[in-house]
Amino acid sequence: MTKRFDEIEHTADLAIRAYGRDMKELFANAAYGMFALMAEPFGLSLRTKPSLEEPTREREVSLEATDYESLLVDWLNELIYLHEVEGETYSQFTIETLSPAELKAHVTGGPTKSKTKAIKAATFHELEVVKTNKGYEATIVFDV
Amino acid sequence: MVNKQDFKKVEEYVYEIPKSFRPDMRVPARLYADEELLEAALGDRSLRQLVNTATLPGVVKYTLAMPDIHQGYGPPIGGVIPSKASTGIISPGAVGYDINCGVRLLRSNILAEEVKPIMGDIVNALFRGVPSGVGRSGDVRLSHRDTDNVLERGSAWAVSQGYGTKDDLEHTEERGGMAGAEARAVSPKAKKRGRDQLGTLGSGNHFVEVAEVEEVYDREVAEAFGLFEGQMVVWIHSGSRGLGHQVCTDYVRDLQKAVTKYGIKLPDRELVCAPFDSPEGRDYFAAMASAANYAWANRQVLAHRVRRILDDVLAGVVKDRELTLVYDLTHNIAKVEEHPIDGKLTKLVIHRKGATRAFGPGMRDLPADYREVGQPVLIPGDMGTASYVLVGTAKAMEKTFGTSCHGAGRVMSRRAAKRKIRGQELAKELRSQGIIVRGGSMAGLAEEAPAAYKDVDRVVNVVHSLGIARKVARVVPLGVIKG
Repeated sequence: MTKRFDEIEHTADLAIRAYGRDMKELFANAAYGMFALMAEPFGLSLRTKPSLEEPTREREVSLEATDYESLLVDWLNELIYLHEVEGETYSQFTIETLSPAELKAHVTGGPTKSKTKAIKAATFHELEVVKTNKGYEATIVFDV
Repeated sequence: MVNKQDFKKVEEYVYEIPKSFRPDMRVPARLYADEELLEAALGDRSLRQLVNTATLPGVVKYTLAMPDIHQGYGPPIGGVIPSKASTGIISPGAVGYDINCGVRLLRSNILAEEVKPIMGDIVNALFRGVPSGVGRSGDVRLSHRDTDNVLERGSAWAVSQGYGTKDDLEHTEERGGMAGAEARAVSPKAKKRGRDQLGTLGSGNHFVEVAEVEEVYDREVAEAFGLFEGQMVVWIHSGSRGLGHQVCTDYVRDLQKAVTKYGIKLPDRELVCAPFDSPEGRDYFAAMASAANYAWANRQVLAHRVRRILDDVLAGVVKDRELTLVYDLTHNIAKVEEHPIDGKLTKLVIHRKGATRAFGPGMRDLPADYREVGQPVLIPGDMGTASYVLVGTAKAMEKTFGTSCHGAGRVMSRRAAKRKIRGQELAKELRSQGIIVRGGSMAGLAEEAPAAYKDVDRVVNVVHSLGIARKVARVVPLGVIKG
């Protein structure tokens, strides 16, 4: 499997670089990377296990924005919101529709069983979705 | 990239990047630091973030950063952005996600020596009794009406429900309730996140710490603050929880449109802003003040829990178990204040991101019992070294828009700390120094290790030597719970 994301250095907060062969995969991998960072301190390694737990909960996410960067931030923040208010952790992300104006996605996961690391929000800080020779990548800084 | 030679030394501990450094700068950017702390700041992207703040519309005099500067998102942590209320901006990204993250200090008539033998029990009781961790709910559930009340009244609501005393309000910045708060400006999503999180600590660097006043430097001021050597005190560090995070998320998203509408050019989208005097700016201010009030109510309920827990665990050990609030202050906020600009008192929006208001003597916003000496400036350090109580000065009003530093400041990334430090070993090492620590996770503890922070003594010496706040007491940790 190709690499989904890397954790990168940040003094006070957390940052990842997410990769995707196409834009949809980039969005899915960014979400995956975010939940991997949340789960990791508690011994639930998403990096070695493809799925956090039996997917027993499903959610539909539908968002509108004006560009891919805004949509990416919105998407991650929507998942942070659902994680917190629904008490769920997600590990599979299917992006069904994606354009600079709209995202529709199906996410699956389960009730959060263990504590997770707090991520307050995904930020716009130095955020750029860039095209590479392998597809797309984006660096995202999270406030923790 | 900002290099050392880009700075001009204005005076001892004051370094300035001139306006000519980048064409989009409107004012110079200053760093208050010694040479070593300046060098440390060159190690991450914080100085570039500082320069970015100097490009915002309406900024006056200079933007600045404190010696505990480190990399954030948008402005650096430790940053201060003064913007004219009439023609300048307000920026949700510059206040950050943890609106009114802040700290309060409680004093007692208990000697640390009396409680040291049972510090393990104290820490365990706090760990059990104070809800911590991400999204963790407490036992206070707010109705829709209660939520609106918390948002508009802050600590006063908490006190009206029996969480604390009127004296607590007197000793809280803004009396724990900021004017201009309007619950209607807060989204239903944000309110939903806030409904069951009042009185919870959260995670990251939030903590409750039982500590000892190790040394008093200024007896007169210490006496005014009720502090003495050998005294047991308690620190509480927390913020506005999911509610505040959602308010920031909402307005960072929504104000992207305002940036286009008002033709604002930004070097970083996270510095998203709107004119302070615009519908968008006013809405954000009303929502931010509401989230700030939630944070004050949160620390008020947390303090109530801590009081009850310590009252229980210390029963039979000490007689007088009362905990009195020394002060509660915010270090992530935007406030409207008057400061002299070109010899004229001018209304400014002061953004403090990881920076503490440090008003000097005589300011009318201070509680009556501190008005003569100045505002307590509370500087929590890392969990293995020390924290400080300082007092605000007139010089801070001249030099830093009445602001001081807010902590030690990180120097090592969380990733590096996790790689280098094992939580378990750290807890063991701290225990051998007489400090008992419990946290939500060992990895989380490692990220917060003392080695990940700057030398707090050094940071405090800069603000003390500059005269923007004066040392009153040094406080050392005995028992800590980390979120």
